[in-house]
Amino acid sequence: MDHDSLADRRAVIRVPAGHDAFADATTDAAAAGDETATADEDVTVARVGPTGIGALDPLVTATADGETAFYADPGVDLTSEVAADLADGTVGATGDPLTVVDHDPDAATLPVPEDTALGVGLRRLLRGAGWHRPTDPGDHAAAGGFADAGLEDVVTAADGLVGRGWGDWCHDEDVSPTLDRARDAFGDVAVVVNAHGTAADALLAESVPFSVLEGADLLATALDAERVVLYLSEADETARERIETAAERYSDPETAFEVVAGPAVHRAAEPTMALEAIEGNHRLEARLRRPGELPVLDGAPALVHTARTVAHLGARVRDKLAGLTPAGRMDTRIVTVTGDVASPATVELAGTERLDAALEAVSVTGEFKAACVGGRFGGLTDSLAVTPTPFGLTHDDLGTEGVVEIVSDERCLVEFVGRRAQRAADTNCGRCVPCREGATQLTELLRDVYDGDYHRERIEELLRVMDGSSVCAFGVEAARPARTAMDVFESEFEAHADGRCPASVCFEPVEVPQ
Amino acid sequence: MSSDDLAGDVPPLTEDIAPGTATDPPVESDDAATVTVDGTAVDLPPGSTLLDAVEAAEASGAHDGGTAETVPALCHYDRAEIGPRSTCRTCMVETDSEGLVPACSHPAEDGAVVSTDAERAVEARDVNLDLVLSNHNLRCTTCGKNGRCDLQDAAIENDVEEPRYGVLDDRDQYEPIDDSSSFIQIDRNKCILCNRCVEACNDVQVEGVLRMEGTGTDTRIGFQNGAETMEDSTCVSCGHCATVCPTGSLVEKGIEDATTIQIPGFTQKNSVGKTYERTGESKGPMTPKKAAERTECESASEAERVDATAKETAGDERRDWP
Repeated sequence: MDHDSLADRRAVIRVPAGHDAFADATTDAAAAGDETATADEDVTVARVGPTGIGALDPLVTATADGETAFYADPGVDLTSEVAADLADGTVGATGDPLTVVDHDPDAATLPVPEDTALGVGLRRLLRGAGWHRPTDPGDHAAAGGFADAGLEDVVTAADGLVGRGWGDWCHDEDVSPTLDRARDAFGDVAVVVNAHGTAADALLAESVPFSVLEGADLLATALDAERVVLYLSEADETARERIETAAERYSDPETAFEVVAGPAVHRAAEPTMALEAIEGNHRLEARLRRPGELPVLDGAPALVHTARTVAHLGARVRDKLAGLTPAGRMDTRIVTVTGDVASPATVELAGTERLDAALEAVSVTGEFKAACVGGRFGGLTDSLAVTPTPFGLTHDDLGTEGVVEIVSDERCLVEFVGRRAQRAADTNCGRCVPCREGATQLTELLRDVYDGDYHRERIEELLRVMDGSSVCAFGVEAARPARTAMDVFESEFEAHADGRCPASVCFEPVEVPQ
Repeated sequence: MSSDDLAGDVPPLTEDIAPGTATDPPVESDDAATVTVDGTAVDLPPGSTLLDAVEAAEASGAHDGGTAETVPALCHYDRAEIGPRSTCRTCMVETDSEGLVPACSHPAEDGAVVSTDAERAVEARDVNLDLVLSNHNLRCTTCGKNGRCDLQDAAIENDVEEPRYGVLDDRDQYEPIDDSSSFIQIDRNKCILCNRCVEACNDVQVEGVLRMEGTGTDTRIGFQNGAETMEDSTCVSCGHCATVCPTGSLVEKGIEDATTIQIPGFTQKNSVGKTYERTGESKGPMTPKKAAERTECESASEAERVDATAKETAGDERRDWP
């Protein structure tokens, strides 16, 4: 493919797409809405996607001659001055840049400033985030994208690849067996990329959509897929718009991409409910699963993988074509840190790193007390000294969704898990008894704690049944917050049963008679 | 009669039916299988589930007349076109190869070994049965299905004396009894959401009247035209829903007190204190104009979906805690 890349430009100022004032400050032409505009004959203004590091937003970078200056939230005036300096061939002299990084003059991926939050972990899938124009294929191509691969390349690359997130049909499992089943239906398969609801998937779709589309196209090529559907939440409008535009600009895909938005509710990310949403059912509920068989989309066998999974597949195929052996390849996990932090951050950690490394990308508000690891129905823990892989996380009964929600010491954990149980009761699909009625009764049992009735055995019995007999992962996972909180923070439950809230959140203060 | 009128009276096309339920895969076996249940080997034809195996073992008389433990399978209805819905999960059994599985919706694979008395399976069935009871008003003494109720039978067979989570006895939570139809009475306080009625209405009778609606604690059986009462629905009074209902939630009018224990002044109709009565307004032919009603249904569904989305995205803070 022949594409125009920013790597070929002499001087580039990268401003965040969606912040028109920054682009306006650098060039009138940019205000027209082009992703790329020329401020003068030497400086290119590029609108790039987010890096995932909220504390640095909006991030502006100025690049020339193998040097890049990083400015976190520089303001419009300073951006204008940075652009003017860049036109004079100067980088980093204006204002007070966060850092200036030396790099290859033709750098096609973000030159990582190791001394900032961008230096946390390693950027593999996120290597183009904040550096590439999201909907311009040139930058993705310059970074080695659009691999020319065949069936065997894809099958080999998929070997050992573990599905990321609860929206993946192969959640925490090797994707190869399902790929083999799909090969049996060669020519009649639907590829569904589920980017619904999880910050990491939405970030990939918003910032580096071609890495997602490429992964999907590789699967489509390997399987001669009949359909390729990109499925996102109605709430992630920017991600949806970007992936739609990128899909239109994707050069000669094996199968035309369809983009479908599903309702902005948590359960809509569950794979079978995602299929129901794509099929247009007005009410979403979980489907039964037949052991050992693929689900179907409008009658066709479907592969359902998250955006993270297919982006990993694309990266693996590129590695393979570059001659990297599996041993030389570094598998990563994308982790979003949110909750009681000044700004959320999405980082990419090596599988060998510990989750607490991700904390370096955020500023915790208050004292760290606990973390809910694994998304809405993650596990509560007081330590993040654990690897972000399924092996490490499930050992501690933590979730693998790639979300770490920080809970500060100003919050009450009994309230935290009570509200999660209430949310599960309110928002489950309503299909099966252990989830629908179980979450309701769990909420009641947790309310009883406030009346002095803390019966751990009764709660654990209910949680075992929710976990073991629910139709889908919603009910299975809804049991986890309470289960882990009782394991790690039981003293808080006991204190509430005694009428005390250690965080001083739950009970009205007793008035002392005068 | 114009052709439009004729079009309005014909049953809906199946693609216009919106039951609000998922499209499940077939869950029966492809091949004949021999399955061992609590030590008893049973032979099953293609198209069988593990529940068929359990029932075959029971029928074979093993263990003095049945399996080691009772498997209620409350929502199961052993007729083509209806189920398995696998919603109640009171059919959980332990298998050697795949652990705890719902017998009603798991294919009977050759060589499978099933235990009905495994600790986890017994616990799951018992807890799930109690969870069903927790949302059932259990006013058996005024119920027209007293003595012929699948839930009552299951509770008796499982020696349920005091359900773990109590029963639905909060009058504020009761839904009014829908007594607006001349033919069928609906008491949603007794509904266990097994979905048999929805499938009978849509998949067997192809009438497209009933649907599953709502989410979480608000899940209920409703009408596809958005009506609040049976009288305003497009019901043709075929009665199939009442035939398949396992509890006293859907009962034919005239026999709603047939098995009630007679206590002066207490009836099924006044048992919860709130009733939708028949308005008496004529709506023409017994079969309403479906085509017109269905147009309303589509817009109602969309509005409902948007409302539900807004409600669910409102965040954890929308309710007080504790």
